[in-house]
Amino acid sequence: MRRKEFLSSVLPLGLAIPAMGGIRLPDEDESIKNSVIPPYLKPGDLIGITCPAGFITDKELQPSIDLMKSWGFNIKVGATVGKRDFTFGGTDAERTIDMQLMLDDPKVKAIMCARGGYGAVRIIDRLIWDRMKEHPKWIIGFSDITVLHCHLGSNFGIASIHSKMCNSFPDNWSEAEPVQADSILSIRRALVGEKMKYDFLANERNRVGTTTGALVGGNLKTIETLGGTKSAIQTEGKILFVEDTGEYLYSIDRMFWNLKRAGRLSKIRGLIIGGFKIKPDDPGEEFGRTLADIVFEKVKEYDYPVCFDFPVGHQKNNYALKCGVKHKLVVDQSGCVLSEV
Amino acid sequence: MTNMKIPKYLNTGDTIGIVCPAGYMPREKAQACIQTLQDWGYRVRIGATLGGGSQNYFSGSDAQRLADLQHMMDDDTVNAILCGRGGYGVGRIIEYINFSKFRKNPKWIIGFSDITVLHAHLFSNFGIASLHAPMAAAFNRDEFKNQYVQSLRTALSGKRTKYTVDPHVFNRLGSVKATLVGGNLSLLAHVTGTSSDIQTKGKILFLEDVGENIYNIDRMMYQLKRTGKLDKLAGLIFGGFTDIKDTERPFGESVHQLLLHIVEEFDYPVCFDFPVSHAKENYALKIGLPYTLSVKKNGVTLSS
Repeated sequence: MRRKEFLSSVLPLGLAIPAMGGIRLPDEDESIKNSVIPPYLKPGDLIGITCPAGFITDKELQPSIDLMKSWGFNIKVGATVGKRDFTFGGTDAERTIDMQLMLDDPKVKAIMCARGGYGAVRIIDRLIWDRMKEHPKWIIGFSDITVLHCHLGSNFGIASIHSKMCNSFPDNWSEAEPVQADSILSIRRALVGEKMKYDFLANERNRVGTTTGALVGGNLKTIETLGGTKSAIQTEGKILFVEDTGEYLYSIDRMFWNLKRAGRLSKIRGLIIGGFKIKPDDPGEEFGRTLADIVFEKVKEYDYPVCFDFPVGHQKNNYALKCGVKHKLVVDQSGCVLSEV
Repeated sequence: MTNMKIPKYLNTGDTIGIVCPAGYMPREKAQACIQTLQDWGYRVRIGATLGGGSQNYFSGSDAQRLADLQHMMDDDTVNAILCGRGGYGVGRIIEYINFSKFRKNPKWIIGFSDITVLHAHLFSNFGIASLHAPMAAAFNRDEFKNQYVQSLRTALSGKRTKYTVDPHVFNRLGSVKATLVGGNLSLLAHVTGTSSDIQTKGKILFLEDVGENIYNIDRMMYQLKRTGKLDKLAGLIFGGFTDIKDTERPFGESVHQLLLHIVEEFDYPVCFDFPVSHAKENYALKIGLPYTLSVKKNGVTLSS
């Protein structure tokens, strides 16, 4: 498969969006009919940082604080930063309270999750969403934070940002690889309301086509484990993106079967396959199918566009995506473009 | 389920078909099983997917595995079907199995691990009982003599079973009689939201797993809990959770602790370390049949 290469071009539109309340966009598109877009951020706005899943130290957090301050935002560090209950950033109660305070604090305009790991599902049903529903704000993160993206999208239609988190901000910005730096800078662009546009290279297995729909997705394993719960992902009429790391091919196959058998692949408008760090087969247990084989086995009977190698996942090139926001996906022989419309 | 269909128990001279609907198994690894089944007085029919020419993970292509299983299900001269091994693969063919004949003439399907998909599917869609039990590899190295493999023989013959297990300090006491359902936790989580999903209300649920990270067991238990599968149980049996891994940053609880914590708000009886597992300790359990679970201070019994 061709090495991922990424050509980011973002048109800074700097749209002025009213500051209070979510915007319900009138649109004929069913997939975003009920989308609530939180207000985009302005200079001086406050970003809260909390740990709903794994723990982070103050030292590990500092580069992200410095950088986001340099973007003109103020930072509120939650009580779970620096807390540790084994793998978690504090006990379930501590993580719940910290997230709840961030959700309810009217001064906090966006909440960045410090890192993923595991733990969001342990607190999701304890959170109270009343104020968030009245005054939506951006929640930012990926991997285990897929729990929050799916819960927000399926229950309240509130858009959120799937992106890198504090733990992948480099200690030394000048030494960051260009795609890593560009990925992190895309968070700022998403937060201030720029329209996102990503060009990426064609993969020979892509299925060409053009489509529009709200983006929805995240970590495949996390999406599977939300199945049947009230946070379960709703994919109908949407462009679905998935990524995962450290899974065997057989396990990826099983997860795609779960999506298919649960009816989550039949009514989507497009499928974006992000990065998959695949765990090598054990000797004698060769799975005999590639990731693309696995995907097409499940979606061959549909005709929506499918693309591979999108720069999203547990990797350096992991660009900010606005879940719940309408995008256009163009997959053709020469390449792919995902653009916010 | 009150209207469960119970396949006919086996008599001497009946035929057991062996198929591999999931991972590959060389024929010689099933030899002790074949010999033992014959010693028990059964005939054995070897399906095309045991051994064979597969060069990859699976015992054959999806079409081959489906055809072999379908053939055994529909062949009137086969009285029960033993899955040679689990691994992964039933979920790839389950939607394509034609159950129309099997529904009218159900037979015991035997296996565990990946075969959980088949058990759950039979239970939920057709109310057909099946047998969660050791598979071919469990017979090797003279292990066919152990009480767990022998429990399969007893189960197939239709004799009632009574399993007695040592007490565990985490057990929650109580006695219930209810339908037994369950299997491998990963597979039960995986079939959530599909047509093979199981309803657990009013049932005794048993769970086991192997080779998982502790955090992932926690996540799957949360999935069961959040899908309403843990709140209305009659009882809960935790089997073996073997070869469990922890993350570099430790989870902070043992598997036993997390399992206990996740059901602490409920009050049904719970027992730990029941001999149903990927290790040797793996009693035959009839999914879909009523059992009495008695969890007492001095020990646990599960009787059919």
